[in-house]
Amino acid sequence: MEREDMVQCDADGISGIALIGSPGGSGSEGGKRRAYFEKAAAGAGIPVSFYDWKDFPWGEKAGGMGHSIVKIDAPEWKSFRLCEMEALTGQYGERLRQLSRMPVGAFFNHPSAVAAVLDKRGCKKRLMENGVAVTEMYEESFSCGEELFGFLRENRVHQVFIKPVQGSGAAGVTALRFSPGTGKRVLYTCAAPDRGGLVNTKKLHRLEGEAASAFLDQLFTMDCIVEKWYGKAVFHDYFYDLRVIVQGGRIDYILPRLSKGPITNLHLNNHSMEFAELYLDGAVSERIGEECLRAAACYPGLKSIGMDVLLEKGSLRPRIIELNGQGDLLHRDVYGGNRIYRRQVEIMRAMMAEGKYIG
Amino acid sequence: MREVNGQMGKSKTYSNDYEDYENGKDVAALAEDIMADPEFPGLEELIIGGWGCEYEDSCQPILDAIAEHPDKFSHITSLFVGDMNFEVCEVSWIIQGDYSRIWKAMPQLKELTIKGSTDLTLGEIEHENLESLTIICGGLGKDVLKEIEGAKLPGLKKLLLYIGVEDYGFDGNAETIRELLANSDFPSLTYLGITDSEIQDELAEVVLESKYIRQISTLDLSNGTLTDKGGSLLLEKLPGLPNIRKLDVHHHYLSDEMMGKLEGLSMETDLTEQEEAEKWNGKIWYNAMLTE
Repeated sequence: MEREDMVQCDADGISGIALIGSPGGSGSEGGKRRAYFEKAAAGAGIPVSFYDWKDFPWGEKAGGMGHSIVKIDAPEWKSFRLCEMEALTGQYGERLRQLSRMPVGAFFNHPSAVAAVLDKRGCKKRLMENGVAVTEMYEESFSCGEELFGFLRENRVHQVFIKPVQGSGAAGVTALRFSPGTGKRVLYTCAAPDRGGLVNTKKLHRLEGEAASAFLDQLFTMDCIVEKWYGKAVFHDYFYDLRVIVQGGRIDYILPRLSKGPITNLHLNNHSMEFAELYLDGAVSERIGEECLRAAACYPGLKSIGMDVLLEKGSLRPRIIELNGQGDLLHRDVYGGNRIYRRQVEIMRAMMAEGKYIG
Repeated sequence: MREVNGQMGKSKTYSNDYEDYENGKDVAALAEDIMADPEFPGLEELIIGGWGCEYEDSCQPILDAIAEHPDKFSHITSLFVGDMNFEVCEVSWIIQGDYSRIWKAMPQLKELTIKGSTDLTLGEIEHENLESLTIICGGLGKDVLKEIEGAKLPGLKKLLLYIGVEDYGFDGNAETIRELLANSDFPSLTYLGITDSEIQDELAEVVLESKYIRQISTLDLSNGTLTDKGGSLLLEKLPGLPNIRKLDVHHHYLSDEMMGKLEGLSMETDLTEQEEAEKWNGKIWYNAMLTE
């Protein structure tokens, strides 16, 4: 058992919730997370104290956490530069480690588990070791585009995804297609070269030939994983994957995310729909549930996990793409019934009633 | 393989995926599979999806099989070659083939759809019964446009062309399309689609000035960069064209106001997929739907 699994607190004195996050404006992601979570807590009559990441470690005020269940939202990244995001993620990991040592009533999602799933390589490895079906990654690591092309040529692989190990959303995610016979190459990415580095944009760029190779050289200055590119399930003319919210050992929400391109991340102005409207066979839904619960069981320190799940074209076999310990904001839900945050509050209330926290 | 019974009659998709291809099943083997399939003689529509390595191998062996065994394909009235989505292959990478021999080999053919324009040749087109010709691509070359211009297709009701962009094969300009429409002779044409262009406003003008504009019932200028400039022209001309019963401009850059005005026309309209121009590197970008 890992450390986060063993944390137990005497929570007899727990009287409220401490929410760590970014205040943001009402239109920002951070602002929405806070507003809708607080709304859910208010509905249950539980007070929420807010702690702004920018004031970390909060001095004396942090003492209040000793009597609270602590929920950790992500800080808001100010930088769009990928190399800086890598450093910021590192800094954030360090803060999570410090946070895990602070005296709190109980953690909702334990900081060390939140940090563990931020590492895409480590997370995928853990899932694979536990028999979870994932979008498989290659064991090799690459330092430049040519090295990757050599590997693809030798193994007759013609399309892959490349993802920075540390990064959120679609930051730096690149879909590459390569013709081993002709050497032709084309890639799709939201990152773009800017002042000697890469910046994250909200636009999908298509690069071919030399421009694609040069881009990969820059991307590989960061630690990246290379994954097999699976054909995604199609709904009408759209590809889709799923964002599944697993909370307290239960599937609380499944959101299909649709796109016409290779990257379905919601930040890219793609759109979503209701899961029921996919009219999937009951056996497929069951398999999705089983796979997600198996993945969640690998991280008992996380009471709430946002999972990106791919359904393979044709067979609709689910594969976990990645996990996120802070991926609980779904606009479709908060503007609807706010079910996800209301359920979090229910789980927290149960934790309070139990008087202890078992991860 | 997919099988559906639609309005078109019995249809089936045949394709090789990359793994089939890696296991030695090439495009010629796919052609053999089609002819050997006991269900094949009962089909009306033949859809060729991917053929395994579309970006390195042409679909020519399938076209050759049709030309060499016309009796085996004599029941097929609808043919689609290259029905594959983005995840299977870049449209601009699909290696098409030479259709010169198809016209004679399939006199019964009513509908032909081709996806991809790389290495595409239509040859001398002469066909009594073809009613629909669609080419979906990121850029259609002048040579193919000239072949269509000279086509003898007395029964052609629907012509739908994705014009695309220069980088992916469109080496013409608005004049090329003007010539195509002026010099071609499609007496039965009722659906004209000049779509997916980054000069969609100019092409709207060309189409509105063409001889077909008083003949067709559906005008398709979709998937391009149509702005209010082209929208104003449509608004000006369409009320005087009662023959046009449907206007399709989905995927466009029209303003809300212009959309409202076009919706007011006394015809069916498709104004979905309103796009927003993107600012990038100090420039404003308008993108056609399929530009690769």
